[in-house]
Amino acid sequence: MRGLVRGLMGVLGVLLLAASLWPAAREALAAFSGTHRLIPLGQLWFEIDPPSLNLAQAGIQRHVAPWLWEDVVQPLLELPAWPVLAGLGTVLLALRPSRSR
Amino acid sequence: MVVHRRKPWQLPESAITPEEAVLAHAAAKRSGPSRRALLGAATGLGALGLGGGPAARAQGRDPIGWWNAQIANDPNRGLYPAARNDRYTLDRPLTEAREAIVYNNFYEFGSHKEIWRAAQRLETRPWTVTIDGLVASPKTVDIDTLIRAFPLEERLYRFRCVEAWAMAVPWTGFPLAALIRWAEPLGGAKYVIFQSFENRAIAPGFRQTWYPWPYTDAFTLEECVNELALMVTGIYGKPLPPQMGAPIRPILPWKYGFKQPKSVVRITFVAERPVGFWERLQPSEYGFWANVNPDVPHPRWSQATERMLGTGERRPTLIWNGYGEHVAHLYAGLAHERLFA
Repeated sequence: MRGLVRGLMGVLGVLLLAASLWPAAREALAAFSGTHRLIPLGQLWFEIDPPSLNLAQAGIQRHVAPWLWEDVVQPLLELPAWPVLAGLGTVLLALRPSRSR
Repeated sequence: MVVHRRKPWQLPESAITPEEAVLAHAAAKRSGPSRRALLGAATGLGALGLGGGPAARAQGRDPIGWWNAQIANDPNRGLYPAARNDRYTLDRPLTEAREAIVYNNFYEFGSHKEIWRAAQRLETRPWTVTIDGLVASPKTVDIDTLIRAFPLEERLYRFRCVEAWAMAVPWTGFPLAALIRWAEPLGGAKYVIFQSFENRAIAPGFRQTWYPWPYTDAFTLEECVNELALMVTGIYGKPLPPQMGAPIRPILPWKYGFKQPKSVVRITFVAERPVGFWERLQPSEYGFWANVNPDVPHPRWSQATERMLGTGERRPTLIWNGYGEHVAHLYAGLAHERLFA
């Protein structure tokens, strides 16, 4: 079990780190061309699958609570994508249970 | 001899419930005498300059109170109620004002249905509307000048949201065709884009920078000059409340509501068919034409019936929202298009 958790956290951590490279590379390229602008998490989600983002907002605001989107989810989605993804990936890798003997 | 045959969806004028009666009934049903007494007391306190407490609190709970406060300083309030154009009648009772003004979509303020409070942050004065693109002379006009440039009239229209709810309301406005003529489009103009306001300081939706703000949508020039197309400035005999698109918005009643941007600040004439806000977001669900049709379901729900605001009554949806005799000819030869999405 411990090995499974370690493996899952490792895979997820690596995936998040890898995912952070895409917005980071785009931001770097944009910076070189003088048009640097942070890519928020929501932007990344919107580029990958706009309907699911829209559905998530409508579902939360209409069926749970409007404030949950406006005050919690939306501020998270406004955060820059690559530092969040890279940070989460690093944390997962760092917190993996140690290898069992 | 001229024979007038009443359409199946037409009701005589005498069958329409007056707004006062509707509002009084709603107030009695919802509030009872104690609430009325509270509101009366609050109004009295306000008149004495003591309204910061109870008056403000009462107003905060009462959408009609909010609305009346909003329009108290409207420079055009004397233009309402406008004379009703009896050519347009309904096949159903009017929706209660109290119901219609608190159940709205205004995506800039959120995607839930209680955005009416948040929308009060929209300041509708000063306000200008810019006319540009393929026109003889681009111009920016003050909203009060614009509203007073055309005679206002009241029309009873059905309104159908793509989400399968509906209402029947008395809009006040002027024919969009008059505005189009006044704008003097050039020969190459084929489409008209309506752009909603964009004030990032007052609406949380604008912080979602990934959406293609500002909200826009468009119609063909032929649709705009159809006699049903109305530039709306008021409802229920008063200036529009912010949540319904004050100070001005288009209404083309045979189309789903999302096609008709609220709080318009720019009208642009173009040659190429533009992509509107929702079509850009979800083209599989929301297209350019978006005409009402009970037989073409939304990908996630049926459009066969509609729920009336207030009563909850389910009615069969009418093709073209019941306005086929006025607009079906606009789409002859366009069968290859997604006319109903």
